[in-house]
Amino acid sequence: MSPSDAPVTAPGRAAAPGAPVVSARTIRKSFGEKDVLRDISFDVPEGGVTVVLGPSGSGKTTLLRSLGGLERPDAGVITIGGTTVDFADLTPNRHGRLPRAQREQEDALAAQTGFVFQGHNLFAHKTTLDNITEGPIVVQGEDPEAARERARVLLEQVGLSEHADKYPFQLSGGQQQRVGIARALAQRPAVVLFDEPTSALDPETVGEVLTVMRDLAEQSWTMVVVTHEIRFAREVADDVLFIDGGVVVERGAPEQVILEPQEPRTQAFLKRILDPL
Amino acid sequence: MITLPRRLAHLVLALAIALAPALLSAPGAAAATTTASTTPAIASDVFPDPLRVGTEGVYAPFSIKQGDEFTGFDIDVMNEVGKRLGVEVEYVATPWDSMFAALGSGRFDIVANQVTASPEREQLYDLSDPYVETGGVLVVAEDNPKDITELADLKGKKAAENLTSSWREVAEEYGAEIVGVDGMTEAMANLKQGRVDAIVNDKLAVRNYIATSPDPGVKVVAETDDTAQSVFAAKKGSGYMPAINKALAEMEQDGTTQRIYDTYFAADVKAPTWWDLVKDNAGPMALAAITVTIPLTVLSFAIGLVLALIAAMGRMSHAALPRAIARTYISIIRGTPLLVQLYLIFFALPQMGVDLSPFPAAVIALSLNVGGYAAEVIRSAVESIPKGQWEAAQTIGMSRRTALRRIILPQAARTAVPPLSNTLISLVKDTSLTSIILVVEILRQAQFAAAPTFQFMAMYGLAAIYFWIICMVISIFQDRAEERFSRYVAV
Ligand SMILES: Nc1ncnc2c1ncn2[C@@H]1O[C@H](COP(=O)(O)OP(=O)(O)O)[C@@H](O)[C@H]1O
Ligand SMILES: [Mg+2]
Repeated sequence: MSPSDAPVTAPGRAAAPGAPVVSARTIRKSFGEKDVLRDISFDVPEGGVTVVLGPSGSGKTTLLRSLGGLERPDAGVITIGGTTVDFADLTPNRHGRLPRAQREQEDALAAQTGFVFQGHNLFAHKTTLDNITEGPIVVQGEDPEAARERARVLLEQVGLSEHADKYPFQLSGGQQQRVGIARALAQRPAVVLFDEPTSALDPETVGEVLTVMRDLAEQSWTMVVVTHEIRFAREVADDVLFIDGGVVVERGAPEQVILEPQEPRTQAFLKRILDPL
Repeated sequence: MITLPRRLAHLVLALAIALAPALLSAPGAAAATTTASTTPAIASDVFPDPLRVGTEGVYAPFSIKQGDEFTGFDIDVMNEVGKRLGVEVEYVATPWDSMFAALGSGRFDIVANQVTASPEREQLYDLSDPYVETGGVLVVAEDNPKDITELADLKGKKAAENLTSSWREVAEEYGAEIVGVDGMTEAMANLKQGRVDAIVNDKLAVRNYIATSPDPGVKVVAETDDTAQSVFAAKKGSGYMPAINKALAEMEQDGTTQRIYDTYFAADVKAPTWWDLVKDNAGPMALAAITVTIPLTVLSFAIGLVLALIAAMGRMSHAALPRAIARTYISIIRGTPLLVQLYLIFFALPQMGVDLSPFPAAVIALSLNVGGYAAEVIRSAVESIPKGQWEAAQTIGMSRRTALRRIILPQAARTAVPPLSNTLISLVKDTSLTSIILVVEILRQAQFAAAPTFQFMAMYGLAAIYFWIICMVISIFQDRAEERFSRYVAV
């Protein structure tokens, strides 16, 4: 069996054995006067799937973007795959630029994550295959042929082998999102972050994306998923985090948080999405 | 969070260094050298060697440029003077209205172009003794629709004159309304076509025109009272004039001046047909297109795009200073005429010690101009790319610079191609303006060809065809580029 025939599984990360792959401690973030994240802490163990639930505007996207390096928390400590940044220690100038060493540390943290956007954000001028190989070849300096080979395996995994040479506009929404997932996996991240990956999709293509994500969970990828797909959360999540008003209101196993929520806010939220009428 | 990538500045510097030799040895400066072969009669060390002489090259029969050769009455007199002084003479083709600006900024040392002596000029310049004396004549169209018969009739009529010539002052004195023209050829055409009512100009020049034109269509109706004396002019304090006057006096005495005069004013020159003219000049004009207009366009556009990219990044920067600098630059470029920019770079910079030859000066002026216009095109194209593209690039580990280069600019290029093609096509045509700063591009070459024959419609027509061909080729490339960029969008 050649290496490329092997199913692509999550790269093993050896920090301290048994240590969580993702650890967020007292993450704080405000936009102007508005405190969006107020002391959020949680861990994700290796191979674990954490689903983040919460009403609109509760800070889910901000939390995920903070983990993925797209937003800089005001304070808190994030450790991913053995790389740690203590945000209280950063000293950005008034244009938000960090001193070189701090910037490199922040980049190293971001490099541990793969990000799947709500609106896929595929590079419109690149084919499916080139979208996936862009990071490995250009940023990581991987051998182009090897990167393409790896990309083809990833495409097979998300069921899009025959679409390798198409441009994003030639694909359906569900297919585009699956390419987005393959692009994130090609980074060999310690954790894959999903921000409502299906909420911008036509209903009939939601299933194919969730199926791919379920496969990834089975292959032991560590994942943090923001979603309103309650069934997916119940069946796939190891851990559910319900956040509201920038704090973790309730957390636990899906059976517990989804089927027997303790907090009134969680109960109200679940009632709203499970029974919208 | 776009800040100017620092290495882009290095790129520009590298580009400038790479281009420098090309700029310095670039074609376009009109200069021809005549070597003095006989032994000097008067040795002198007040003269630079070669002595650079400003002349129009389009004022028949005084100053004519044919290919690289200058001929004409003033040229022959100047050559003879040079020979007698033992200095090499080099001609710099210069439009009349730039003549004294160019003399002032040191583009050449002396003017030989029917400069009429006047008290004002005497104050500003060193003038030689006269080498020919002539008078003004009043010229009207053959049918004389406004019935002008004497200078007094000029009151309220339109007269075509060079704006900086002394004949303009004469016409104005008699109350004419002045229509500015570029030379005698153009003045005559305007007169025949009825766009002006009269011309006051040099008797000898007019006589030559009537004698050599296949179809003059104009007639002389009066002469001015006073005579005009043609002199050479140099900067004040040149110290040239004693030696030049001595040579002129000798030439007067030994009949050399008369002999030169006869070659131009007693001869019966047969004018070539327009077809001969086209045949003779299609080659030189194509050469001007290939060696001057096209390189000028390509270089200016390439450098201009780099400037535009830098200015666009400056405009989008978070820091106030780059934003202010970029904004000021764009505003100055877009808020002032290109012609004025050309004049400033070519004539004003030398007074501050920055002396550029015509081609590099033209490249600089046009690049700055393209940069100012294209900056806004690039900025709006970059800003039209969704923020998600930047973020996706960031999540795969790209720096902002790499993201700009590999993700944003390629997509922005699609939006920018049509407006940038317009900029490029305008640039091709704008290169013709550089003739004013002595660049011998297509139009200037056409003027040289047309001047001695007074048949400039054929030459301007030919010039138009050349410009049109270049612009058509660009349009074809534009279509190709648009097609290429539309591969990845739904149509
Ligand atoms: N860049 C920003 N600037 C200002 N406010 C923002 C920004 N991003 C998010 N917010 C605000 O922060 C709050 C949380 O947003 P978000 O994290 O997107 O919530 P969710 O994903 O849970 O809907 C919202 O009130 C939103 O308006
Ligand atoms: Mg959100």
